[in-house]
Amino acid sequence: MLGKRTLTGRIGFALAILLLVSFSLLPFAQILSTSLKHQYDWGNPSLIPQTINLDAYKELLGLTEAKKVEIPAAIQKILNNPKLPKDKKEAIAAKYTSNDNLFPFGKYMLNSIIFSVGAATFSLVFSVMGAYSISRLRFKGQVVIQRSVLFVYMVGGVLLMVPLYQMAMNIGLASSLWGSAFCLFLIYIVQTLPVGMYMLGNYFRGIPFALEEAAMMDGCSRKEAIIKVVLPLSLPMLATVFIYCFIIGWNEYLFASVFLKQYPEFHTLPLALQELFVSKNAIWDRIMAASMLTLAPIVICFLFASRFMKGGKTDGGVKG
Amino acid sequence: MAAITLKNIVKSYDKTQVVKGIDLEIDDGEFVVLVGPSGCGKSTTLRMIAGLEQPTSGDIIIGDRVVNNIEPQNRNIAMVFQNYALYPHKSVKENIVFALRRLKVDNDEIERRLSEISEMLQLEELLERKPADLSGGQRQRVAMGRAIIREADVFLFDEPLSNLDSKLRSHMRTEIGKIHNKFGRTSVYVTHDQVEAMTLADKVVVLHDGYIAQSGTPMEIYLNPTNIFVAQFIGSPSMNIIEGTLFNDYLDIDGYHLPRNKLSNVAYQETISEAGLKVKVGIRPDFFNDKAFFSETGITFNFTGLTIDLIEPMGFDKEVLFNLAGSSVKARLDLRSDITLGAKIDLLVDLSRVLIFDHETEQRL
Repeated sequence: MLGKRTLTGRIGFALAILLLVSFSLLPFAQILSTSLKHQYDWGNPSLIPQTINLDAYKELLGLTEAKKVEIPAAIQKILNNPKLPKDKKEAIAAKYTSNDNLFPFGKYMLNSIIFSVGAATFSLVFSVMGAYSISRLRFKGQVVIQRSVLFVYMVGGVLLMVPLYQMAMNIGLASSLWGSAFCLFLIYIVQTLPVGMYMLGNYFRGIPFALEEAAMMDGCSRKEAIIKVVLPLSLPMLATVFIYCFIIGWNEYLFASVFLKQYPEFHTLPLALQELFVSKNAIWDRIMAASMLTLAPIVICFLFASRFMKGGKTDGGVKG
Repeated sequence: MAAITLKNIVKSYDKTQVVKGIDLEIDDGEFVVLVGPSGCGKSTTLRMIAGLEQPTSGDIIIGDRVVNNIEPQNRNIAMVFQNYALYPHKSVKENIVFALRRLKVDNDEIERRLSEISEMLQLEELLERKPADLSGGQRQRVAMGRAIIREADVFLFDEPLSNLDSKLRSHMRTEIGKIHNKFGRTSVYVTHDQVEAMTLADKVVVLHDGYIAQSGTPMEIYLNPTNIFVAQFIGSPSMNIIEGTLFNDYLDIDGYHLPRNKLSNVAYQETISEAGLKVKVGIRPDFFNDKAFFSETGITFNFTGLTIDLIEPMGFDKEVLFNLAGSSVKARLDLRSDITLGAKIDLLVDLSRVLIFDHETEQRL
């Protein structure tokens, strides 16, 4: 029966694929569709907007002129009440006059990029060093370390969140902006390092040691052999690990919500999105446009990285 | 250019001793082949010379410096690996010139040496390809080129031909011989193939179980092995070992009496008790001749009336098997012999080629 294909078999297979693909792609289509719809179109179940509306994107990316918001007459009356303390008046007025309906998307995105790219870069560097040592060097406790790195994932983030924050408080890091950012950085690195080490370690083991020995015979030190031979050959896995770490950092909400709570100007995209969802600015098209813009860098990143992820890099180096 | 000296080299992994004390002198420009069965320590010895392994004890001296603690990259050694170990991400050209680029040799010089070497190894057409697009023999040549271009003091070869088919292997063997003649560098070559050892070496070192069983020129090793291990390892087909008894006047093999005074290659001259001395007799298959085509001389012995059990025609020669003193003995006869299975035959043996080994220690007598 192997390899024999009937028509029904083919159709069934195609349908199954279609079902699976649409199951994973439909949510994205929904996001894209809603973000492009006008308000009157929101109730329409069709995924294709009747007219394309780019306002939400323009607004998020700061391409529209800031709108002057008139204070409604009823509110003006309250403000005119002389008994109301001045600071209260200002607070109320600020709700209507400030441009806080503008979602400073660019700033949040920059924050997200700084955190996730920074953490991913450091994580990758440490992963390379750790993975190389557990896969190539012989030292006491090597096996224990190799097996125990993944234990980090035994304890979930929710459990660690409070003790970690307490520790950060106790040593005074949580009280400053830079301290908090540093803590978050460390947490992202620690969270991604084990998987990075694990993936890279396995990959390094697949690279014949003879190649490094050949480099050493050709006059390279061990470090040079790693840089000139091992790393270029590991490019696909390096890209994979980087993307993995980047995505973890990019999507991370839990720790960011704790450590960055008091520093709104340092909020990352997931935090900002969450706030957007619950704020009075939670309008469908804007939420969905923000989601889309949060998604986009990851998709672009993936497409870019897939160029490096071609397999078979080590073919032909050694025989057998 | 450099001579190599190994002084009482020992290598152990955890509790197993792989190399058990090797002393070896390799002269400047000499081509030394380390040969032995798997696990005899030959590759480990080579890797210690390269610096890829640290000896547990003993000294390795290259030129005039002890290199025990010198990193491989600073030993000025080039090596050809068994599995080639080409850099898969680099083109053939970049593979070959990798070491020179590192040494910041100027481009004109790199090009000059590259063209010389690629011409010698017929690599001109392949320079831009990646190793994955090459055949086994081509990869082997690239690996050779990468080693040669360095003009290093010492060349090391770790079973470089073992992955090639037999035709290519004999071709590359010739090439390696030519290259050595041209550059005259000190070379150490590891193989388990005794033909490579015989054809390439200035000096063959037979290793057995972590020790040097014997070292000497190929002909010394072939004609005068000091023990049964070497006798059987070198030479193909391997030497026949036959039970015999040595008396004061003759050597008895299955009732044949070989006159002792004609055994010119037996150093043992002691007087023997009447019961005789049990020995093992070594005769190479090559030293048997069919009496029909060779005449007896003063130093030949005639084994008369041998019954042939098996004939293996090899082309130019025929290998025949017969029984002598309970062992199956092989003789290599030339193609004129038209013996048939089960027939009786008379074979002549050159007595000066008959060797005698101690029955217990298997050392030469």
